[in-house]
Amino acid sequence: MFLAVLTPTDFPSVSPDATLVQGLLRRDVHSFEQLYDRHSRVVYSLVLRILRQAASAEEVVQDVFFQLWRNAAHYDSARGPFLPWLLTMARNRALDQLRLKGERQRRHEDQVEELPPVPVAPDFEHSLDEKRRSARVRSLMDALQPKQKRAIELAYFEGLSHTEIAESMKEPLGTVKSWIRNGLMRLKEGLLAP
Amino acid sequence: MSEHDKFRELIEPYALGALDPPERAELEAHLRTNCVECSKALDEAYWLVSQLAHLSPESAPSDILKGRLMRQVRADARSGSSGATIPFWMWAAVAAVLLFAFYNAWDAYQLRDRFRVANESASAAIAHQQELQQQLALAKREAMILTDPASMKFTLPASEKNMPELEVKWHAKMGICIMGHNIPMPPANRTLQLWLIPRTPGAKPMPSMMWRPDANGDFMLMVTNPPDQMNDVKALAVTEEPAGGSPQPTSTPMWLGSVS
Repeated sequence: MFLAVLTPTDFPSVSPDATLVQGLLRRDVHSFEQLYDRHSRVVYSLVLRILRQAASAEEVVQDVFFQLWRNAAHYDSARGPFLPWLLTMARNRALDQLRLKGERQRRHEDQVEELPPVPVAPDFEHSLDEKRRSARVRSLMDALQPKQKRAIELAYFEGLSHTEIAESMKEPLGTVKSWIRNGLMRLKEGLLAP
Repeated sequence: MSEHDKFRELIEPYALGALDPPERAELEAHLRTNCVECSKALDEAYWLVSQLAHLSPESAPSDILKGRLMRQVRADARSGSSGATIPFWMWAAVAAVLLFAFYNAWDAYQLRDRFRVANESASAAIAHQQELQQQLALAKREAMILTDPASMKFTLPASEKNMPELEVKWHAKMGICIMGHNIPMPPANRTLQLWLIPRTPGAKPMPSMMWRPDANGDFMLMVTNPPDQMNDVKALAVTEEPAGGSPQPTSTPMWLGSVS
């Protein structure tokens, strides 16, 4: 059962996140703490995957959540669920950080920081939803050709453009474009499938 | 493929951030046209792309991060709502500067006002002093005309018997003083006027000063610019004229006396 995977069209009209965001607009610290508890793990995992350094990742996560606290009014629930919006913001911040600090080069030179696995709280339904969603996305991405998956990951986690990916993978530009476009379409179809 | 279909194919790569600058600029220009279909597709594409975050190995931030963040948020919540981006001390500094500027402006205005009043007072005092000096000069001149032995004294007899005569003292250089007591008051629209009658035969009377006696019927008149030669004047006359005076007498002299 992967019914927990939400799409822009089938998310509940008043989600827990939307209610908590309303709390942020009233500057309710408790609402903020709940949002942090619900989503800090996935946000942190994404930022860490991009930056590969725990200290930098925590710095960006703190910045992302504090901006959420300050600018919650920027979120428009009519345009989609809250978490994708938050993840988009976190990814953009992390990629900015990556570009600014030149960590891309340093990452190849320095020894990659080994991160200890962090147990995921098993008791919350929300966490189960997250796990199911992750499993579904991984399953769909694993079904792609390895190069196709790699091209999408280079774009998403490294912030590379079509041309940069083609150069990095030594593949024709047109091929890379097709891989990415078709791969995303297959992911979409898989996520929207009942 | 239509132009719109071409843009539609760029939406997902755009949300992924994979478009090269020329394509990105082209699509962004199209999105600025408020294409409803592409805007909706872009929202869906952002959702789709965000799902890739679940490919990240699961990790959790430290409790230290949460503690640090919550302290930051609580401090921000305490510092105020809408004005939270500006600390209190900065508002206080701004208020102090505004207060100081307002006080300075008010003080300058008060100072300018005081200066204006003082200036007006000084001007009034100077004018008063000049007036007093003028009066003093006239009084001295009058005293000199009245007391100087060089002054010639004569009277102007009245044309009517029950009217008092006028006394005249003429100093060749200082002027003429004419005094009267118990003089009947002319009607409201009339005035007394002095005439100097030239010695030259056929010459017209020269109009001089106009005046009205005070409530007691008294007056002291001084003519400060008499003719250079007293001998040129044969007699002095006083008539009653319309208010404002006349270039030539319009009535019979009430007083008339020869200069001798």
